[in-house]
Amino acid sequence: MIVSRRSRFDSVIHALRWVVFVAVALLVNFPILSTMLTSFKNNADINAYPPKWIFSPTLEHYRTVLASPNVDYVHYILNSVFIATVGTIFAIILTLPAAYAMVRQGVGKNWLLPVITNLRALPLIIFAIPFYFMYKQVGLLDTRIGLALISCIINIPIALVMFVGFVQDVPRELDDAAKIDGASMWRTLWHVVLPLSRPVMLAVFLLSFIYSWNEFLFGLILTTKSAVPVTVGATFFVTSRGIEWGPTAAAMTIGILPPLILGLFAYPYIGKSMLAGAVKG
Amino acid sequence: MSYVSFETKEQASARALLVPLCLFLGALLGFPTLINLWYSFSDVSFQNMIGSFVGAENYIAALTNPKMWQALGFSLQFAVICTTLEVAAALVLVFILHPLLIKRPWMTAILMLPMMVSPALMGVMYRLILNEFTGAIPVYLEMMGHAVNFLGRGNIYKTVVAIEVLQWTPFAFLILLTARQTISYELEEAAAVDGATGFRSTFHILLPMMKPALVIVIFVRFIDSFRVFDHIYVLTGGGPGNLTTSISIYIYKLFFVQNTLGEAVAVSILLLLMSLTLIVVAMRLVVRRS
Repeated sequence: MIVSRRSRFDSVIHALRWVVFVAVALLVNFPILSTMLTSFKNNADINAYPPKWIFSPTLEHYRTVLASPNVDYVHYILNSVFIATVGTIFAIILTLPAAYAMVRQGVGKNWLLPVITNLRALPLIIFAIPFYFMYKQVGLLDTRIGLALISCIINIPIALVMFVGFVQDVPRELDDAAKIDGASMWRTLWHVVLPLSRPVMLAVFLLSFIYSWNEFLFGLILTTKSAVPVTVGATFFVTSRGIEWGPTAAAMTIGILPPLILGLFAYPYIGKSMLAGAVKG
Repeated sequence: MSYVSFETKEQASARALLVPLCLFLGALLGFPTLINLWYSFSDVSFQNMIGSFVGAENYIAALTNPKMWQALGFSLQFAVICTTLEVAAALVLVFILHPLLIKRPWMTAILMLPMMVSPALMGVMYRLILNEFTGAIPVYLEMMGHAVNFLGRGNIYKTVVAIEVLQWTPFAFLILLTARQTISYELEEAAAVDGATGFRSTFHILLPMMKPALVIVIFVRFIDSFRVFDHIYVLTGGGPGNLTTSISIYIYKLFFVQNTLGEAVAVSILLLLMSLTLIVVAMRLVVRRS
């Protein structure tokens, strides 16, 4: 008797957990869902009252966006791909050797590591003005490579923290074996550490790509036309000639899709990288 | 002797591995900071990009402008409110959803989607769905007899707070959930055997163990909300008036809209000093605790 009451109580609690989950999932994802649905509706369905949940989907807004004569959206997408990829690769090249040196030889571990880790806590706007002038002087304003350098800076702290965590987990014996064989530090790094780093490299790449793709402030300040990233370009649909609902929704959907998909694989690393930074930083 | 030279050679090549990173950061963060410092004491303008020394004029202008204090106040208040709501909501959700998610990790991914979205695009999406005439949410509310103008003067502050909270509670949730999941099942069992169940085990065993993660979440979310720019900029541009002007938007406006460059730079330097102070204090707290 007591047992059955107990289990009924448990199953009610269990059902309530599901209710909370579904409610929260719908609430936080509502703008994403709603925008995606709108992007597949034809104009009549968009303006329908009450709003339609069931409709025959159309791709017309995607065609409009990708072939728009006013906004070169395909170009913006390619800009974002370039900026995020190059910035991420730069960040990896700069931080993996540094992480190795910090962990194995302890150089800079007590001052450089905490300084870089805390860089991500600074408001980026502080650097906006000098960057504008610097880039203007050297001709990097409105260039993809200029924004790639920014995305590299933004990703250095997280990449360094994750690589430091990784090198700490590489057994020292592997290094020592290479050293006895006469391998220099560079060769050890190249032949021993680099092959082992593939999983963490993937994690760093995913997170950096997402963060770079989503960057907005410097894209807004440092570009005008040829290097405009998706986050900035998507807002053009809103401000140009009033709001065209369908094309704007399609542009939003395209702009958020790459990080959303990568995020499905990357999200566990976000938790780990944050907690690792605290323990080791 | 040979041992010593071997060690120093190792150290030297290790230092060499750090050089590219240090040069890069020196050139792209150190140098701009120095430029900023010089600019903050000069009469720089778009026409005169070198500027000449004017003493503390820019700082006086910055500090005596009531709008700066207003923007600073907005950012601080915004950060405190958002951080509190996010951490509280995330903590409650962790305890409700942990038993569900521990067996079904893929479900966690669904809750993580909002934080993968660019805050700027999130702002635009909310601008669409909150639109007074065709946005989904006002339309439904109107059908239920409540006409609400989310983007009007009366509600805009609540709206920008709500957007921030809805987008970033998942982040706080993820960090706290990760911390919660590292607490071993054996420990919970032991606590249960000792008679600690439900709320008692939550408050006396689980919460103290999650404290480091809590400190990080509070710190990261506070900093991030304090420097908020993207979603507010695309939603309101800081308006109406200066109602939603954060310190980041304030600096942006001084620079690109009003062209008062020297003042903008002076505020940047003040913001840098404040941020550094905050970071040092936070680091001290964390180090002392651990």
